[in-house]
Amino acid sequence: MIEVAGLKKKFKLTKDHKKNKIDDIDPREDKDYFHSVRDVSFSCAKGEVLGLLGPNGAGKTTTLRMISTALKPDEGSITIAGNDIVKKPLLGRKSIGFLSGSTGLYGRLTVKENIEYFAKLHGMSKSDIASRCDELFTLLDMHKFVDKRAENLSTGMKQKANIARAVVHRPAVVVLDEPTTGLDIMTTQTVIQFIKGLKAQGTPVIFSTHHLDEVALLCDRVAVINEGISCFDGTVDEFKQAGNSDELNQAFMNILTEKHDV
Amino acid sequence: MFEVFKKELRELLRDKKTLLFVVALPVAIFPLLFAVMAFISSQAAMDAEQKVNTYAIINGEYAQEFTDKVFYHKSFELYKGAKTFNNIEELKAGVIAGDIDMGIYLPSHAEQTLDNGEQSQWQVVFNDSKSINFLFERVKELAKEYSDVLQTQKLISFGIEESVQKSILNPIEVIKVDTADKRENLGEKIGGFLPYLLIPLVLMGATYPAIDLGAGEKERGTLETLLLTPITRTELVLGKFITLLTTSIASTTITVLSMGCWIALALAFADLDFIKAAFSTLAVTDLLMIFVLLLPVAAIFSALALAISIYARTFKEAQNYMAPLSMGVFFPIIISIMPNMELTAKTAFIPVTNVALAIKEIVKGTVDYTFVGLIFLATAIIAAGLLAFCVKWFNREDVLFR
Repeated sequence: MIEVAGLKKKFKLTKDHKKNKIDDIDPREDKDYFHSVRDVSFSCAKGEVLGLLGPNGAGKTTTLRMISTALKPDEGSITIAGNDIVKKPLLGRKSIGFLSGSTGLYGRLTVKENIEYFAKLHGMSKSDIASRCDELFTLLDMHKFVDKRAENLSTGMKQKANIARAVVHRPAVVVLDEPTTGLDIMTTQTVIQFIKGLKAQGTPVIFSTHHLDEVALLCDRVAVINEGISCFDGTVDEFKQAGNSDELNQAFMNILTEKHDV
Repeated sequence: MFEVFKKELRELLRDKKTLLFVVALPVAIFPLLFAVMAFISSQAAMDAEQKVNTYAIINGEYAQEFTDKVFYHKSFELYKGAKTFNNIEELKAGVIAGDIDMGIYLPSHAEQTLDNGEQSQWQVVFNDSKSINFLFERVKELAKEYSDVLQTQKLISFGIEESVQKSILNPIEVIKVDTADKRENLGEKIGGFLPYLLIPLVLMGATYPAIDLGAGEKERGTLETLLLTPITRTELVLGKFITLLTTSIASTTITVLSMGCWIALALAFADLDFIKAAFSTLAVTDLLMIFVLLLPVAAIFSALALAISIYARTFKEAQNYMAPLSMGVFFPIIISIMPNMELTAKTAFIPVTNVALAIKEIVKGTVDYTFVGLIFLATAIIAAGLLAFCVKWFNREDVLFR
């Protein structure tokens, strides 16, 4: 179980940004700071898949980066199985598997070497690494290209390798930031099957996306962020209810408009 | 930390560009370039020596003995063309037009001028920008020989015997008594040159891989995943830092060994006394001491390059930041060869300059070991400070996620 409560994060504005600032465009900007995340809360229980939605620049990536411990929140808490990972980031890193659409691999290393490297950094033993790699290579049908250098792989192969890299240490929670962006249908299917597999294993999955068909296919819960503030957190049915529509796209638009008007 | 180091090293060894900069350049390309440069310059000097230059002389009969010497000199050939030269302006025009390489103008009869108690001023016309100023030197030499003959004859006519002329013309002669031994003299020359070769190599060995280890991680999109592993930022920085230290030292060591091999090879085929004398003075302990002094310098450069690289958003941005660093390294080395710059308790604390000065002193055989210790300590403290800064830099979100 992962619980996110009252997250806030601001970034200092650069001189260039201040110089080119257009007044009253974004309510999140003050004189010196851009308040990227102002108040975000949601939770995701064991075996649940939570879809994190929001328009571009809503603060989704910042939120996911805070959950993955890459960024430190200014306020708020993130707990995994009762442990506050804001206070204990190293513990959080052991518990989380993170993947984004822009995650890369070390091109001059083979796929196997890439995955083994991250497994070693997670403190896994040699024998454990060997068995886990074999398990993942079979699961993701990767055996044919594990000894190829990452720089020579197709986009689909790279994303499979990235998935394996993200979960090699058997994380308690998996965080995915727009994992299907820019992928073809076949590779998108691989990612979807992978998320379904995690769900079946009981691993909580948080993933941000702009594709609401993926939400319909995978998610148990939905959280919506707009301008750095949580504006919805509930089940998919509650989401449709709150948005006054059975169509997810329409419901999403209605929720955003309603909250914005308020 | 060692996992990071092992992985970085493995990846760098598979990078053709890194291998080119760290291994191929020092092993083959640098010595090859030096050899080509030496060959071209010696060939150019030989060509210049062997070239016969056309000249014209006006009033040659005013100093027949000198005129004959020029005529029979192997480097000069009298102009036999249709043009005539009657004054200095015509000589200038002849040189500009390329009819002659040099013109000599004698304004008066040399012996008569001397009899009148006056100095005869001869003019040599040539193009000084054509790297043929040795023409002027040769004519000056021949004129001096003739001038000396005139001087001797005149003094004899005054009744001053040739044997006493020397003491009259030069009553006092200052003779240099040099206490510097052969090694000191050679060391002064080579010792000043060595830091120019070694210190930039130490820097080059660190900067190129650093770009890959910092900005490269950002550009590939691997930095974020690396930051999410349960290793501390200190371990991460140390892993990358040790990689750069290794490549930096490896690059320098390979260069020195390669140059040693090439010099040994050159000595085996040619009798190069100067080089033999210069390098026979260096003991293994001297080389070891130079190596030890370069270690903290490599640490300074590695930490600086890593800090710069992780700040940059892209490979290109990192390359732009590295360029001033590469140029900046030469300033402290230039300071070390400035007149009166010596290794003292004060200069031992100037980074890079101190090591350059110490290398010179080591090669000369006059190094004070207290200063070597002091330099090592001072440089190591600066390196440690920069490394601590690097760790702090790696903890800043505004640096990592610019």
